[in-house]
Amino acid sequence: MSFSLILSLLLQGLTVGMLLFLIASGLALIFGLMGVLNFAHGSIFMWGAYVGLAVYTATGSFVLALLAGAAAGAAIGALMEYLAIRPLYGRPIYQVLLTLGLMKVLDELVKVFWGPVVYSFPKPEFLSKSILIGDAIFPVYRLFMIGLGAALLAVVYLFLTRTRLGIIVRAGVEDSEMVQALGINVRRIFTFVFALGGALAALGGVAAGPFIGVYPQMGLENQLGAFIVVVIGGIGSFAGSAVGSLLVGIAQVFVSYFFPQGAMALNFALMALVLLLKPEGLFGGGKRA
Amino acid sequence: MSVGGGKAAGGNAVGENAAATNGGRKRVLVMLLAVGCVALLVFPFVSPSLFYVSLLIEVFIFGVYAMSYDLLMGYTGIVSFGQALFFGTGAYTAGLLLIHTRLPFVAVLVAVIGVSAILAAIIGVLSLRVKGVYFTMVTLAFAELFHVVVQKLDKITGGADGLPGVPSPGILGNRTYFYYFALGFAVAVFLAVRRIVASPTGKVFMAIRENETRAEMIGYNVFVYKLIAMMVSGVMAGLAGAVYGVFLNYAYPNLLSADTTISALLMTIIGGVGTLYGPILGAGVVRVLGFVLSSYFERWVIFIGLIYVVIVMFLPYGIVGTWRDRVARRVRAGLRLDARGTGIGAGH
Repeated sequence: MSFSLILSLLLQGLTVGMLLFLIASGLALIFGLMGVLNFAHGSIFMWGAYVGLAVYTATGSFVLALLAGAAAGAAIGALMEYLAIRPLYGRPIYQVLLTLGLMKVLDELVKVFWGPVVYSFPKPEFLSKSILIGDAIFPVYRLFMIGLGAALLAVVYLFLTRTRLGIIVRAGVEDSEMVQALGINVRRIFTFVFALGGALAALGGVAAGPFIGVYPQMGLENQLGAFIVVVIGGIGSFAGSAVGSLLVGIAQVFVSYFFPQGAMALNFALMALVLLLKPEGLFGGGKRA
Repeated sequence: MSVGGGKAAGGNAVGENAAATNGGRKRVLVMLLAVGCVALLVFPFVSPSLFYVSLLIEVFIFGVYAMSYDLLMGYTGIVSFGQALFFGTGAYTAGLLLIHTRLPFVAVLVAVIGVSAILAAIIGVLSLRVKGVYFTMVTLAFAELFHVVVQKLDKITGGADGLPGVPSPGILGNRTYFYYFALGFAVAVFLAVRRIVASPTGKVFMAIRENETRAEMIGYNVFVYKLIAMMVSGVMAGLAGAVYGVFLNYAYPNLLSADTTISALLMTIIGGVGTLYGPILGAGVVRVLGFVLSSYFERWVIFIGLIYVVIVMFLPYGIVGTWRDRVARRVRAGLRLDARGTGIGAGH
């Protein structure tokens, strides 16, 4: 096993990991803050991809596509919280059941507009080349995805630790009643976190488009991966979702290279194992963002 | 993690009290029920085409499957997202046995019961160690694991193509006979579950649903009772899957997918959690509505999804639960009126 093969697999694992992170971070924040396991999160990811593709086809600008996708994701997330989740606070099981229904509706709605077919999302010109790393060929687009993921990770981390709003969000994850008692409108924070999580997932969807294509099942498929990440990292933990994503991404790429049959099964086995041995996840410990 | 249905069950008790004051309503109900039974019995002879017979067969099978989900969610308060695991495994077990052996159908069903019970026991022991959302996710993980494994073991299971050509045993190749078999199957399972729910064990299930800690403090081994609920539910789902596989003459990986679990959830929620009649009704509504809508709209699933969302938000007890609730409220109002009339309870 040569060095360049390891490097190439590692980079590929990071690509997959960053994609997972963009979905998982929103899931983790939403669960940490509100106790809602959002089954419709993958659908927002998918909607991001479709909106991004539509904007990209119309304008030819990939940056615009990313922005439009993120805006659409934020809007869907905020609307979801405001219209559907909000009336059900205090009934957590019903919230989970509801998000499952929203997933169904959003997944079907996308087929109403675009049909059930697979679209290919052309890579933007400036990202379509490949470079040599050692003696392995590596597409620039994947490097872009790693860079985008890392940048967003840094931005969200700085937001959570350095800004007033971010600190309120973290305080809310810790104890939302206490935050409310201090005179802060937690409900508005809830809507905001849904919007933030939606924007991250949708950005992930646009970025994933040229990598995996755009199709209706892409939401559920990647959501399952993100669930695994969130469980492994610790439900509600932002740091956990970041580390978990990279771990799962890299493990998945390596296992599928050497033992293609086992990649998916490995992930589920990993998740079951973590749940049984350390149900609160690797970074779960307390309830920390 | 109480799921509700407690209210519906309470409504039932009030409904019994009301029998005396409300004999007329009860008589109407009994008559409706009788008409319904006769209609179901003669249906294959008056049905304009075999298609509708098949549609009702599916309703019976999915009714049993949804009931299995209701026993877990509505009566014991356990929300599993892995019910498809048992449904699909039942279909594959029956399919493989019917293809490769000459066992009689009854023996095949017994084997399905055995396999489902053992599988439910293993998965229950592993997953019941965690609770709430964690349990939901572990069960989802197990179901997806099986979903993947079935597709990978293509030498045995036919991989992504599934298992075509599952033979119909004996007279069950005839749709009319199969109709009566499925009807009998649904009725038998319904009666059995009703018996279980009314038994002392069933009462413990409901105690766990209402307050798990309290049930534990009283001295019940909650883990064991949850495991029993999972095994009974797993066996029911497995049997439903086996019958479905034989009905289609086909077992395929999607039977184990998250979508199959979601359909049980849709039927149970729409019909009414914790009511037992509800899931059967829900299966009927989803299947029949699906058939009607699909002839007008290509993307009809969106309507089922919207109905589900509306029910979760505004009618958390589903059709049957909400109806029972309304009857109970009207009866209570009636009792108050009676009390005023006779002077009972007016002496404060």
